[in-house]
Amino acid sequence: MRITALVLSLLLGASAVSAQSPPPPLPEEALPSVGRLPADYPASWVLVHDFRFLSILDGRVAVVDTADGVRPLKGLVRAAQFASMQYSRGRREIFTAETFYSRLTRGERTDAITIWDTATLEPKGEIVLPGGKRQQTVSYVGQFQLINGDRWALVTNFTPAQSVTVVDLDARRVLGEVDLPGCAHVFATGPRGFSSFCADGSMISVQLDDKGAVVSSATLARVQDLDNQPLFGNPAMVGRTAWFVSYKGQLKGFDLSGPVARPLTPASVGTAPGGAPEWRPGGWQVMASDAAGLLYVLMSPAGREGSHKDGGTEVWVVDPVRNQQLRRIDLKGVAGSITVTREATPHLVVARADGQIDLFDAASGQLVRQLGATAAMSPLIMVPAQ
Amino acid sequence: MSGIDRLTERFARRLARGTSRRSVLAVLGAAITGAGGFPLLPVARAASSAPGAPGSRPPMLSGNPQDPGDQASCDYWRYCAIDGFLCTCCGGTVNSCPPGTEMSPITWIGTCINAADGRAYVISYNDCCGVSSCGQCFCNRNEGDRPQARPQSNNDYNWCLGTQSSIYNCSVAAIVGVADKAK
Repeated sequence: MRITALVLSLLLGASAVSAQSPPPPLPEEALPSVGRLPADYPASWVLVHDFRFLSILDGRVAVVDTADGVRPLKGLVRAAQFASMQYSRGRREIFTAETFYSRLTRGERTDAITIWDTATLEPKGEIVLPGGKRQQTVSYVGQFQLINGDRWALVTNFTPAQSVTVVDLDARRVLGEVDLPGCAHVFATGPRGFSSFCADGSMISVQLDDKGAVVSSATLARVQDLDNQPLFGNPAMVGRTAWFVSYKGQLKGFDLSGPVARPLTPASVGTAPGGAPEWRPGGWQVMASDAAGLLYVLMSPAGREGSHKDGGTEVWVVDPVRNQQLRRIDLKGVAGSITVTREATPHLVVARADGQIDLFDAASGQLVRQLGATAAMSPLIMVPAQ
Repeated sequence: MSGIDRLTERFARRLARGTSRRSVLAVLGAAITGAGGFPLLPVARAASSAPGAPGSRPPMLSGNPQDPGDQASCDYWRYCAIDGFLCTCCGGTVNSCPPGTEMSPITWIGTCINAADGRAYVISYNDCCGVSSCGQCFCNRNEGDRPQARPQSNNDYNWCLGTQSSIYNCSVAAIVGVADKAK
């Protein structure tokens, strides 16, 4: 019975089509065909480091257009095995510092920086890092930094002996290695150097000569209390000032434009009712800045010892110079990482636990777009393209 | 790896043991320091609600009333400072790595209270290395976790160090002693 009905409808359909003049066939499509991106990414684009917890050796960087609700994922760049990522708009390049084994999980180890073209997402070059000691950790921006006008890169090492490998990206070669005992993470400082946090709570600033050797260093004592006011590792940059937030909401800024880090007057994210027991920063990339220099801090209402990686449900917007809390943005759920675009109307980009990415108007706090879990499984670090 | 590196590793390992034990005893009962691998965040929560995570599998019991609890659950007493995939769910046990992996010689130490006998035990969270992420039974606690400037108190590092491969698979939680004079 059903089959008869089907045959009948097909016949009727066929006669209906034949009664009209048939449309021209769909055109043949040129193959092979591979996409290409604009070399200069628009302001709505964000690079999302997908750590991929369930397959760490297969991490990647997603190039995402947060304004495209239909096809937000524009392409992927490999970021293997506890990789770290940097992006240079001026060079039109993405950099990944990675680790590989010749038999995927075993065999000969190779650590390397790969240079990717922003338009083709193809590798343009590679610099092999010596010693098999690249620091492997859940992603922090301080593992890998560009310095010297983006011509050089710094890669941190951990065996657990700590050091920094200095790389000339233009010459595609390793310049040398700086021992950094007791200190972790590097942040570009001055014309050709870095600052790093040390185990005694100090910060060391180091400048390099044109061969990559240390020419000067200076230490700022007691910049953080690692026991009671430890600082989250991923800062928000306002120009060349790095703002860090403590586990309990203290804001500490360091002007890194000179050869030695200069601490600014500390500020606070402020307070709010409703915390149980109290509001504290929580998440992975818990801070972002906007073009006006305001800070956005991801906050958890269930702040306590050990909650600092649990994520947050609100973003508090703070003017760190006036030490003033300006507004609170309800994220309608828990998020792990945030950033803010440099669009004419800036958007707060919010990455959630399940990989969902939501866009809020950074000024009004209104939810404007949901991209779903369409770009990354474990979005940890997000870098606006402009 | 240079000889100096090896020496540094051994030093760091001793440092980690000593520091961890002291700091944890100072807060007794709170558990702490990290373990091998990574944290993290809501990612951990999402994973724990997935099929195959604690809560969706039958309890894994030791059979010894003095070692109580579900060894596939993040709430098990020995996991007070663990960070990563539980080897009990990955083909290993609470104190042995899955076949085909290599146990890291550099370990992370926590001190956990066993409610059954009231003792504080020193727990070694060796990582199992050389096979890709197990993906089962993610467990992470961050009490006492501190920035990477203090490595012995940070659980974001991959502690598959000193092994043939640094690929992380899962973490065990083996008893290596009773904490000296718990109080």
